[in-house]
Amino acid sequence: MNASSFRKLKVALLCSLVAVIGYTFAGTVADAAQTKRQQPPASGKETPQQQIDPNDPSSVIYLDSAGKPAGIGDPNKPASEASRRHGWHPQALSAAGLPKDRYGLVDWAKLVRQNIISPKHSLDPGEEEAPPLKMDVVIPAKGDFVDDVIYPHEMHTYWLKSDVCHPQIFVPARGANEMTMVGIVKGDWCGRCHGKVAFPLTDCTKCHSAPKNKASKK
Amino acid sequence: MRPGLISFVAALAMALPGTGLAAAVGDIVLDSRSVSMGKAGVGPVVYPHALHEKLYKCAACHPKIFKEKAGATEMSMKLNMDGKLCGSPNCHNSEKAFPLYNCVKCHTKAGAK
Ligand code: HEC
Ligand code: HEC
Ligand code: HEC
Ligand code: HEC
Repeated sequence: MNASSFRKLKVALLCSLVAVIGYTFAGTVADAAQTKRQQPPASGKETPQQQIDPNDPSSVIYLDSAGKPAGIGDPNKPASEASRRHGWHPQALSAAGLPKDRYGLVDWAKLVRQNIISPKHSLDPGEEEAPPLKMDVVIPAKGDFVDDVIYPHEMHTYWLKSDVCHPQIFVPARGANEMTMVGIVKGDWCGRCHGKVAFPLTDCTKCHSAPKNKASKK
Repeated sequence: MRPGLISFVAALAMALPGTGLAAAVGDIVLDSRSVSMGKAGVGPVVYPHALHEKLYKCAACHPKIFKEKAGATEMSMKLNMDGKLCGSPNCHNSEKAFPLYNCVKCHTKAGAK
């Protein structure tokens, strides 16, 4: 091997080394960018930077994704804000072994069904509990493929009086409410509660649970 | 995004062939289900391919999740909601990316009425 080809080889090696380092560095930067983009998980698997540690077993404070105590959210904010606000369950709640949904949030509806809790629809002790209304309303989803929505009155009447929803949020007549998913995300109709005090909109199939006719399954 | 901008991106991609960047695929308009989208009041999806190229390796999506040809993969919102395609468990159905209910981020004219 003569001197000049050796030098060429050296240059080539140097170049590839630089390329490798450059690639690794770019990779790290890209990874970092990606991590930065990550929304806080609903499950609480990861810990955000915050003063109160939600993984601290003695913590009983329900934190939002910014690490501030939750429950002080602005109800006028659109429900989509909830994507950044998925709180962490305080360890006391997590450790209680309550049933969770597939996003790792406590499944409050299941708790009611399993008779673990029995919510009251009013704080007023004199108020009479109305019997639950066992009526599912099918709300057909516009479009050809997305599964229709089943609205379970029963689960809602365990927690809420009927005049919470009727007639301000929903006209009590089938098909009389011009609902849209975009509107719900903005905080109208079901979005008045879901994403704020009830399970978040991320869980599409909990509402969209009645398959459209088999012909258009895709 | 407006159609004007899309064609601008497309024109740019055509005007600068092989500028050395891997990001050869620009925005892809996905509207195979335009009838259903019309009923639901949302416009076509504009998919920013270049952005995804920056975030992931090609093999993360091709060919497992998407075919490597615009319009070749059968897509619908139902499939997304069932945890496929855009809604795959590590994508827009997880904390890694914005959630599926952010209609306006993927669909043009969503909620415009
Ligand atoms: C006034 C508040 C409120 C409104 C409005 C509301 N919900 Fe709910 N919803 C709740 C609460 C509270 C629960 C029980 C807690 C939970 O599951 O997070 C619930 C639970 C549910 C469940 C779960 C039932 C189960 O057995 O798992 C479904 C499905 C549901 N709601 C659908 C809807 C739909 C569809 C709409 C709109 C048509 C709607 N809700 C509007 C408060 C509300
Ligand atoms: C709290 C219950 C609830 C949840 C959760 C929910 N939806 Fe809906 N969705 C509805 C209701 C109610 C409608 C209105 C039905 C109609 O008139 O089209 C609807 C309608 C739709 C439509 C039809 C178009 C339209 O705007 O009316 C689509 C598509 C849709 N939802 C997608 C989704 C996706 C995607 C998710 C998950 C990110 C989701 N939904 C989660 C209740 C829900
Ligand atoms: C996050 C997922 C994702 C990643 C990563 C990704 N793609 Fe794609 N790609 C898509 C989707 C979605 C389409 C559209 C498929 C369809 O319409 O059926 C597509 C389409 C394409 C097309 C067809 C474009 C056309 O106009 O027909 C090519 C070529 C392509 N990708 C190449 C690549 C290459 C090369 C990479 C790596 C640098 C890559 N893709 C990375 C999702 C991805
Ligand atoms: C992550 C991106 C993304 C988000 C967020 C999203 N969509 Fe889609 N949507 C798609 C794609 C991709 C298709 C299929 C496009 C095609 O090929 O026609 C689609 C198709 C649709 C269709 C037609 C097919 C069908 O299943 O009926 C409707 C209606 C629809 N979306 C409504 C919505 C609504 C309403 C929301 C908000 C709740 C929403 N989408 C959010 C990506 C998205």
